[in-house]
Amino acid sequence: MQSVLGGASLLAQTAVEMQVGYGAMCMLLLFIAVSVWIGLMANKATRDSGFMTGFFLGNRGLGVWALALTATIQSGGTFMGFPSLVYSHGWIVALWIGSYMVVPITGFGILGKRLAQLSRRTGAITVPDLFRTRFNSSALGLTCTLFILFYLSFMMFAQFKAGAIVIQLAWPTGGELSLSEEATNVSDFRYHVGLLIFAVTVVTYTLMGGFLAAVWTDLFQSLLMFLGVMILLVASLNAAGGLEQATRTSMQNTGPGFVFGPGYAMADSGHQFLPISLAISFFVVWIWGGVGAPAGLVRLMASQNTNVIRKSIYVLSVYNLGIYLPLIVICVCGRALLPALEKSDQIIPRMALLTTSHWPGGSLIAGLILAAPFGAVMSTVSSYLVVLSSGAVRDIYQRFINPEAPREELRLVAWGAMILTGIISVVVMWNPVEYLQAFIVFSTSGAAATFLFPAIMACYWRRATTAGVFSAMIGGAITVLCLYLCGIMGWMPDQKIGAMTKFHPYFLLGFEPLIWGLLVSIVSGVFVSFVTKPLDESLISLMFDRQPMKVEE
Amino acid sequence: MSDYSADNTDPLVRSSLREALIVALIWLGALIWSVGVCASMGYNRTEQDLKLVWGFPDWIFWGVVVPWLTCAVVSWLFGAFFVHDGELGQDLGDTDDLGLGG
Repeated sequence: MQSVLGGASLLAQTAVEMQVGYGAMCMLLLFIAVSVWIGLMANKATRDSGFMTGFFLGNRGLGVWALALTATIQSGGTFMGFPSLVYSHGWIVALWIGSYMVVPITGFGILGKRLAQLSRRTGAITVPDLFRTRFNSSALGLTCTLFILFYLSFMMFAQFKAGAIVIQLAWPTGGELSLSEEATNVSDFRYHVGLLIFAVTVVTYTLMGGFLAAVWTDLFQSLLMFLGVMILLVASLNAAGGLEQATRTSMQNTGPGFVFGPGYAMADSGHQFLPISLAISFFVVWIWGGVGAPAGLVRLMASQNTNVIRKSIYVLSVYNLGIYLPLIVICVCGRALLPALEKSDQIIPRMALLTTSHWPGGSLIAGLILAAPFGAVMSTVSSYLVVLSSGAVRDIYQRFINPEAPREELRLVAWGAMILTGIISVVVMWNPVEYLQAFIVFSTSGAAATFLFPAIMACYWRRATTAGVFSAMIGGAITVLCLYLCGIMGWMPDQKIGAMTKFHPYFLLGFEPLIWGLLVSIVSGVFVSFVTKPLDESLISLMFDRQPMKVEE
Repeated sequence: MSDYSADNTDPLVRSSLREALIVALIWLGALIWSVGVCASMGYNRTEQDLKLVWGFPDWIFWGVVVPWLTCAVVSWLFGAFFVHDGELGQDLGDTDDLGLGG
């Protein structure tokens, strides 16, 4: 009798999962259609402007919503890795992500206004462009380009894989709701088709609309994500009998580690998810990693005016409050309702399934929630494609191959760069590499250690020299790379802290590599600047001083 | 930070630097509050120590939820009363051409 009931229950669950699969696939198709439409609209909006500012910077016309919800949000991992961490380690993840409370002001208040002004004064379209002009050094510009290509490649490959996995899992007959990397073993065919669909879609709409297409899709998915989280929050609290009940039940299902620091870990593993040293580290990583990210810097350069930057702080404050704490609450409810998931990254799709299956139109609502990761990944890839192709056009083709290239030629090079990036990503990810989330953390830390302090020097320090910025950039990058190498190659004693993955760094004194990278970057940047010859005063004046008003002819 | 041409410095550079320093202090304050409260109230406790405030463990409530709400209010106040608007300037000529560094 029990087995019959068990079989019936399994059949019913499979039927519901297939229904959700159709809902998710409908939402994905809708999202793809909207993205292509956005690409067309963006193309129309920038058709009559100069190609470079239009295609790569949206004519520096980003308004409040577009800037606020797209410049600082690390959207790719929000619906994928983060919920899995909450389910696995408990309430401690609130402290792990807690620094997002100040992201609205750090994201816009540290560099926003000044970077937007400096990029206009220098006519910079890309981050390397800005460094090259600010410090009058082509070598510096080229170094920036190479670093950006290096870090963004890691990000890009990881995101292509994530996009393919989402399509694979939304397949109506997939019967598999995990967003896990291991899910690639379920069906190579679905993965490969997903990879191709993802690549063609994202390259097509980015190719049509450039920067604006990336930003507008990002905005669309951010709003979609907000809506999805709000619906799921209400549904989860309702199903779990309130937050107090959920917290107590989840502790009973696991242990005190779920509600106290340093976080829950499997018995006898001896693993500490977030010792105090790492809690401090992540207050640095998320904040300064966000401020120093090249894709974020470009969006600040594209902001319309200072009023937009100011108002973006308001919008992002509300948005962050409505995303991160609710996601934690949802996953705590999840641990109470679904205590023993085999794959922890199933938690969001499973909760969507569990809490909406009896609602009218529940399949579509669950589909909407499942579609959010796809939108997040797609918009992230789109913005990287723009940064990479702008680097290829502006920093390589225009600088070194054909400085006099006309508009149409530049457009063809940009398209070629995007298509080539798409093809390379598909080829590399055809046999997907592991460690998706770890790649993202590595490139975030590496890029921030490389670009953050140099960007601060460029914006605020007159005495900064070209050699100083070089050493800050290279010092920060090498420090992070060395610490990662030590961890990955096992050159140092094993440490049982942080997320559990083989692609992990060596945490020197228990701190994240970014902390050490930034320290080396700051010390070397300041020291070398002081011992080298200052830049030409006329160049400094152009960057820092009042400029005479231009008279309209 | 410098003694070069300080008198003629663009007002937007000054206001941006001032705001950046304040933001860095707010970040530091949030770090000390959040990590300090969580470290002192929430680490290495036993089941009997669990106290809940509105369903949140008390250390999460006082160490993450309250500072998060406070930071949201501070962000609003900062944006409304402290950030100065200013002229960002015009783009250099035709940006299809290379900029100054070309």
